[in-house]
Amino acid sequence: MTPLTSKVCVVGDFAVGKTSVVERFVTNHFSEEYLSTVGVKIDTKEIDFPTLGMTHKLVIWDVAGTEEFGAREMAYLRGASGYIYVADGTRAATLKAIERLHKQILEAYGAAPGVLLVNKRDLEPDWEVSDERFDAIATRFGNAYRTSAKTGDDVDQAITRLAELIIDNDMRGG
Amino acid sequence: MNDLDQLKELLFGAEKQALDSISERVERREIRTADVADILPEAIHQSHQKDGELVESLTQPVGECVQRGLRDEPETYADALYPVMGPAIRKSIMHALRNFSQQINEAVEHSVSPQGLKWRWQASRAGIPFGEYVLQKTMRYRVEQAYLISRENGLLVDHVHHESSKIKDSDAVSAMFTAIQDFVKESFSPDRTGRLESADMGEFTLWAVHGPHALLVCVIRGVPPKSLRADLSAILERIHFRYGDAIRDYKGDTSTIPDVEVELERCLRFEAREESGETRSGPPIQIVILLLLLVAAAAFFGVRSWMYSQQQDKLDAALNATPGIYVTNIDRSGRNFVVRGLRDPLAADVIDVAGSVDIPADRLTVSMRPFQSLQPEILAARAAQMFGPPESVDISVSGTTLHVSGEAPSVWRQTLQSRFSNLAGVDALDVSRLTASDRAEFSERVASLSRSRFFFRSGVELVEGDAGRLREFASDLANLLEDARSFGYSVAVTARGSTDSIGDAAANAALADRRATFAAGVLASAGVDARTIRQADLDNTDGPQLADVSQRYVQFDLQLESMPDLP
Ligand SMILES: Nc1nc2c(ncn2[C@@H]2O[C@H](COP(=O)(O)OP(=O)(O)OP(=O)(O)O)[C@@H](O)[C@H]2O)c(=O)[nH]1
Ligand SMILES: [Mg+2]
Repeated sequence: MTPLTSKVCVVGDFAVGKTSVVERFVTNHFSEEYLSTVGVKIDTKEIDFPTLGMTHKLVIWDVAGTEEFGAREMAYLRGASGYIYVADGTRAATLKAIERLHKQILEAYGAAPGVLLVNKRDLEPDWEVSDERFDAIATRFGNAYRTSAKTGDDVDQAITRLAELIIDNDMRGG
Repeated sequence: MNDLDQLKELLFGAEKQALDSISERVERREIRTADVADILPEAIHQSHQKDGELVESLTQPVGECVQRGLRDEPETYADALYPVMGPAIRKSIMHALRNFSQQINEAVEHSVSPQGLKWRWQASRAGIPFGEYVLQKTMRYRVEQAYLISRENGLLVDHVHHESSKIKDSDAVSAMFTAIQDFVKESFSPDRTGRLESADMGEFTLWAVHGPHALLVCVIRGVPPKSLRADLSAILERIHFRYGDAIRDYKGDTSTIPDVEVELERCLRFEAREESGETRSGPPIQIVILLLLLVAAAAFFGVRSWMYSQQQDKLDAALNATPGIYVTNIDRSGRNFVVRGLRDPLAADVIDVAGSVDIPADRLTVSMRPFQSLQPEILAARAAQMFGPPESVDISVSGTTLHVSGEAPSVWRQTLQSRFSNLAGVDALDVSRLTASDRAEFSERVASLSRSRFFFRSGVELVEGDAGRLREFASDLANLLEDARSFGYSVAVTARGSTDSIGDAAANAALADRRATFAAGVLASAGVDARTIRQADLDNTDGPQLADVSQRYVQFDLQLESMPDLP
C-alpha cells in the first residue's frame, strides 16, 4: 500500500468541540470536561483505503479556537492539505465565525479541501441552526455534516471524507 | 534586363525575391544580429533543457569574462557583491570564532588536569596539535535521531534513528516541532526571521538546521561540538541540492523523494566516544584544589563552630548543675557567650563556673537577676549564714529537714533550735548527731562543786566558817545551775546528811535528815531549785560508837544530766 501523509487543520470558534471531535476520531473517547486548547495540539491517525490501495495518515493540527485568525494561527495553517471546520449547532454565531475563517484561509493560502462539522448534534433541542441555514451552508461548502463528538455520530464519516477529498485533490493536482 | 533575366524573372520571380531578401539578410550584419538576438534566449533555453553541453561550452568564456571584469573593474564587482559578501564573511568569521572559543575552553580545561597532561603527551607522540587532540577526545556525543521536515507544511519527509533510541510517532513529533518553530517565530521574533536553533532536554540536545525548503532536526545525546552544526548544514545542503524542488512540493507522498534516507543517515554517523577502558577524566586540578580549600575552610569553621557549641553545651550543663543558678538562655555570637537567668546571691559566681569549663571571663557577658533558691545546698548555705556555726559543724538539707551534725557549744545549739524555723523552706531540725563541745568544761565545774561537805558542831549548828562557806556554795551552785540551764543541761543535786555513831541510831538518822533538810534550805534560799535536793538514806554504820566530829556533816553530790530536747 502506498502511504500518504497530509497535514490537516481543525479550525473554528471557541469551545465548539474541535478537540473533542479529534479525540473521538483518534481515540474514540469523549470527555465532558472543557480544557481550552492553547496554541496547537497535534495528533495523527492513519486511515486505510483498501479500494485505492493506500493508507492515508492525517497529521491533525488542532488549532486553538478563535473567531478570527491572528498571525500565529495563520502560521500554524501554512501548508495544510485540508481543513476541518467545526461549528457548534447550539450557537449560530459559530457558523458566522466559520465563514470568516474560511475567507481568511482562502485569501492567505488559496482553495483547499475542507469539510464542515456542525457539532453537538446530541443537543438537538437547543439547536440554533435551522435546517434551511444548514442546507444553505452545506451547498456552499459541499461537504457538511451534523456531528456529535459525544455520541460519535458522523465524526468518522466527515473526517474520512476529508481524507478522500485530499487524495482526489492530490491526484488532480499532481 | 536580357532575355535570360526575363526568363528567370518569369520562372523564379517569387523565389528570386525571396532569395534576394535572404542573401541580403545574410550579408547585412545588422539584420543577422537582430535575427540571432531574436532567437538567442529561446535557443539557450532549449539547449540547456536538452543536455549540459551549453553549460560546458559557456563555463570557460563566462569564467574568463568574469575574471577580466574583476581585473578591470574591481570596484563595480565589489559594490555588486557587497550585499552578498558582507553577511557571508560575517557568518564565516562568527562560525570560526565560535569553534575557536570552544576549542580554547576545552584546551584550557584539559591543559592542567592529569588527563590533560596525559593527552598532551599522547598528542605530541601522535604528532597532532594538542587542541585537535583534545577535541577528538572530549566530544562525547552521538546523533541519535534525525528528522527531515518540510518547512512548508511541517510534514515529515524522512526520519532515521539508531536502533537503540526510542521513537514516538515521528509524524506528530515533526508537526509539533514545526508548530513550536512557528510559535517561537511569531512570539519572540519581531521581524519573523528568528528561529529556534537548539533546545536542551536533560541529556539530549535538539539541534535544528534550516534550509530553504527543509528543516533538519537532530536529537543529540551528550554535548555536541559547535562544528557539528557545520557538518549537519552540509548534509542539509546536499539534500537540498538533490531534492530541493521535490521537498518544496512535498505533499506527504514519500515516493516523490526517493532514497533521501541514505543522505539523512549520514547524520547518525556523527558521534564521539570516550576512549575504551578509560574512565571519565576527573575535574581539573585547580577545581580539585579549590574544592579542597573550600572543604578545609568549611571544616575549619565547622570544627570551630562545633567546638564553641560544645563549649556552650558544657557551660549550660555546668551552670544548671550549680545550685542556686537558673539559666534561662545562653546566646553565642562567634566565640562569646551571653548568659541570662536567675542567681541566688549565695550561689557560686557564674564567671567561676564558666572558668571551670575553660571559658575565660572576657568571653562572657553575664546578666543574672537575684532570687531565693530553695535548693538544699543553698538552704544549707543560708542556714550557715544565719547561724554562723563553729567550724566543726556540718549543715545539710534534705527535703525540708535541716540536718546539723558535729560539735557545737550548747548555746549555739539553742539558738539554732529556737530560730531554725525562720528559714524559708525548712520545717524540721535534726540535731541527733550534734554534740556539745562545752560538756567537758561544764562537767569539770560540776565535779569541782560536787562532794562538798559542810560540818556541824552539833545538831544543825554548823562549825564556825562553814555557815559562810555553805552560803558561798549555794550561790556558786545557783550560778552553775543557771549556766547549766542556759547550756541545755540539767544537774541533779543531792544533799546527804551524816552523824557520828554515838547515840541512838534512830535519833542519828533523824538528825542526819534534819541536817540535809537544813542545808537544802540554805540552798533554796539562794535560789537553787529545791526539787533538785534529795534526802539521802542515812549512812548506817554498824561500827563502834565514836564521837567522831568528822562524821557530823552534810555532803552535796552533783550529777550532770542532759536536758531533754526541746520540742
Ligand atoms: N454535548 C456535547 N458536548 C460537546 C460535544 N463536543 C464537545 N462538547 C463539549 O464542549 C466543550 C468544548 O469542547 P472542546 O472540544 O474542548 O472545544 P474546542 O473547540 O476544542 O475548544 P477550544 O480549544 O477552546 O477552541 C467540552 O465541554 C466538550 O465536552 C458534543 O458533540 N456534544
Ligand atoms: Mg480545543
